[in-house]
Amino acid sequence: MKISIVRNILEVNESAARENRERLDRAGVVAVNITSAPGSGKTSLLEATVPGLSLEGMCAVIVGDLQTSRDAERIAVLGVESVQINTEGGCHLTASQVSAALDRLDLDGLSFIFIENIGNMVCPAGFDLGEHARVAMLSVPEGDDKIGKYPTLFQPADVIVLNKTDLIGVLDYDLNRVTDDLGRVNTRAPFLRMSVKTGEGIEAWLAWLRGLKV
Amino acid sequence: MHEMSIAVELMREIERAIAGRDIESVEEVSLTIGIMRQVVPEMLETAFGAVAMGTPAEGARLRMEFVAVAGRCRACGSRFEPTADSFLCPRCGQADAEITEGDDIVLTSLTCEERNGASESENQHRSQHS
Repeated sequence: MKISIVRNILEVNESAARENRERLDRAGVVAVNITSAPGSGKTSLLEATVPGLSLEGMCAVIVGDLQTSRDAERIAVLGVESVQINTEGGCHLTASQVSAALDRLDLDGLSFIFIENIGNMVCPAGFDLGEHARVAMLSVPEGDDKIGKYPTLFQPADVIVLNKTDLIGVLDYDLNRVTDDLGRVNTRAPFLRMSVKTGEGIEAWLAWLRGLKV
Repeated sequence: MHEMSIAVELMREIERAIAGRDIESVEEVSLTIGIMRQVVPEMLETAFGAVAMGTPAEGARLRMEFVAVAGRCRACGSRFEPTADSFLCPRCGQADAEITEGDDIVLTSLTCEERNGASESENQHRSQHS
């Protein structure tokens, strides 16, 4: 017996993502999904963002982590609410997990929700969480070949952040290789060179975020 | 290993499709997979094997057909086929592609063994109208 079906098996995630987005729209909250490899500086970026936009009490962070609550603890110090999603080995966040995290937050009075995805350059790429904008981040120590190697992470991104630019000279990093790859993968997203450590590029990042609220 | 969450969703759809039918076992599961999804066939087989354990789909074969990526340039509107590492529009040279194909995973059919021995044609007829 053959049963013919046409079912998009990602529909569950996609409909949960749509619901999240509608819910956030109603509350007037902009959600930003930050994706990168482990160690690119997602949490550090948030540590610079919250004081940079004076978002204390005005934003929340949903942080995905395979194990431990270390990132959530760093976020708590910033004076913003955070919800930890411990995926226990799951390599990306899903829209349903984000929906459950939204249930635990009071959206009234928030301007932004930052979703710190699991550090992974493959799996988070294909899962819409209901965000309004997606950030794809990479950092200099990871090597200058990453955009070419993981194009699906960078292709749908609304902004691309290269962190730890203070190490470019130390590591003989070929910035041209990065911009060449980006020229083939995504010319729509602004490309921000940044060092959270030295502060380079932070102003451009904050300006980009402010633009999302308009 | 996003194949695991794909396997979980696939199993959910299979259960939905066979619910209310007198199915002994699912022999084959056919699906189309867009290559943007970066599914590794062996990984999906392993993940599905684990998820299907103890269900009528335990031991079912996965027949996977891969679908190439197609895109539309947001800058100039032309349609083109991006390659694995290039989303460059051949007409205007911008890399600003909206992915129109090759981004979905679709369950297309199930081949099942029935419990009551009803004929295949009858059931195909029934499934088309359900």
